Amino acid sequence: MSLVPIKNLTIRDFHDGLLNKDFTALEATENYYTRIREKDPSISAYLSTREEAALREAEQVDLAIAQNEEVPLLAGVPLAVKDNILFKGEITTAASKMLETYTASYDATATAKLKAHKAVFLGKTNLDEFAMGSSTENSAFQITKNPRDPTRVPGGSSGGSAAAVAADMAVAALGSDTGGSICQPAAFCGVVGLKPTYGAVSRSGLIAMASGLDQIGPIAKTVEDAAILFDAIRGKDPLDATSAEPENPEKYQEELLNPDFQKIKKLRVGLPKEYFDVEGLAPEIRNGVERAIEKMKGLGIAVEEISLPHTKYAVPCYYIIVPAEVSSNLARFDGIRYSRQGTRNKEQGTTLKDIYLRTRGEGFGAEPKRRIILGTFVLSSGYYDAYYDKAQRVRALIKRDFEQAFEHVGVILTPLTPTLPFKIGEKVNDPLAMYLEDIFTLPLNLAGLPGLSLPVENRDKGQGTRDKDVTPLSHVPGSMSLPVGFQLIGKPFHEPDILGLGRYYQENS
Amino acid sequence: MALTKKDLEHLAELARIELAPKEEEKLLKDLDAILAHFESLKELDTTNVAPCTGGTMLMNVFREDKERENTNQKAGTENFPEEQDGYLKVPPVFEQVTRNK
Repeated sequence: MSLVPIKNLTIRDFHDGLLNKDFTALEATENYYTRIREKDPSISAYLSTREEAALREAEQVDLAIAQNEEVPLLAGVPLAVKDNILFKGEITTAASKMLETYTASYDATATAKLKAHKAVFLGKTNLDEFAMGSSTENSAFQITKNPRDPTRVPGGSSGGSAAAVAADMAVAALGSDTGGSICQPAAFCGVVGLKPTYGAVSRSGLIAMASGLDQIGPIAKTVEDAAILFDAIRGKDPLDATSAEPENPEKYQEELLNPDFQKIKKLRVGLPKEYFDVEGLAPEIRNGVERAIEKMKGLGIAVEEISLPHTKYAVPCYYIIVPAEVSSNLARFDGIRYSRQGTRNKEQGTTLKDIYLRTRGEGFGAEPKRRIILGTFVLSSGYYDAYYDKAQRVRALIKRDFEQAFEHVGVILTPLTPTLPFKIGEKVNDPLAMYLEDIFTLPLNLAGLPGLSLPVENRDKGQGTRDKDVTPLSHVPGSMSLPVGFQLIGKPFHEPDILGLGRYYQENS
Repeated sequence: MALTKKDLEHLAELARIELAPKEEEKLLKDLDAILAHFESLKELDTTNVAPCTGGTMLMNVFREDKERENTNQKAGTENFPEEQDGYLKVPPVFEQVTRNK
């Protein structure tokens, strides 16, 4: 069996290798499972794998190639899927005991689209329970470690997907983002993540957390790969009435996949001063993002300071709106539907309400309980105006800030996290400290805008399957061992702007 | 504002979540800190701001008015723990009233 160069392997390289017959899809898939068996016991990125089914998917691709059929760019590409995205016939848990035995009865639209592109699915990745958290420590099943330093969190909630990609246990992955759940773990793990414009990707088959904010998006090793994967899953879907196409779909697609860098270079980049004035912004992050800005300037990009005055209200605004939606969306998990437990072996005289109280009390972890109860409170009679209605008005102000800024600039560049990846256990008992981790990613979610997370420094493009940059490095604060990410925010349905600029940055540094 | 133990118990009842005494204690503490953080929103005058009610600006999304088959009832009932005639079987909804005791 030929050794497949899975280290830092990109979708584009995979496709070329496959067509050049450097390796087969089957060999590649086998190699990824070997890697997962070696590496995942110390990372715990996957909740479940599906080796036999994946190998059969890979064989189909090899067969098509042997018969000289033209295959899509994603054909045979081994991918990971966050375990809150439905995959027909596979257990889909959302990392909750509530769904421990739930088998998905249909495919999410994003999954179905990738199946049509003949991608290979390695398994389902870990997350904070129901995607609630910023560290993946809220999973009911396991704690995922950051491949760059296993004593630290990978970020969350798509921590399993980001860790799998960073540790070369998948070429790329799907995550979901409600308030930074793709972009923050991508930054913590030193990979690339895209949170699309609200509505760009169908939410059908994504286990809902906050329906007015949730989006599925890619986590990948390069900006180009993120664009390829995003293009494969996006589009209007009759199963999600909030999904939509960009104004000019053909032009949009062309710009996504083949950006015109001469045009991209003319985008003005705004630096919101409020993001750099945040209390508690770690010096390593500030320095890292400043390096990114200097590099941008060196590439001939014009930057200017802008103001987003309502930034500091994003955290309270988000943590009112999201728990409110959570309390409603999670009402369906009643301990009977989606479970195997049902009503058998229940003592005589047990009513439906008793079962709800008990199974929801036992089945949800601390964070979902906190959000459900907080959401019940902010929606309750007498408090609705003071909290939920107020937060919705503040959301409008946050959105307006961006609209006004985008009259002057094409893209906004910001830090992505206030701190470097923190230690496992450091914040898990302090929900407010955890919520404040999301300070730079919540505003764009509230405004429905697309955001790209990319590392300030590129991972070195090595050869072979050596482990050089996924082993623990120095813990010295300020050292370059832990990745620093930054964020590019675009106008609605202007993914080509942020992906084009991100790619220009990544490929020229 | 601060929530009392009684408030929390009422909310937990509404949310259909049984809480252990230790959980109640921790939740009260957490919710106090979180609600205190929400206070800053009061600084903003939002009288003339229309609430933003969701992520999309789309309005009136229609589909073609034609017959289609998209409900796979079996796929749903297969996931029921107990099923009878295509329905989900559940315990009594109301408490049983015992008369003439």
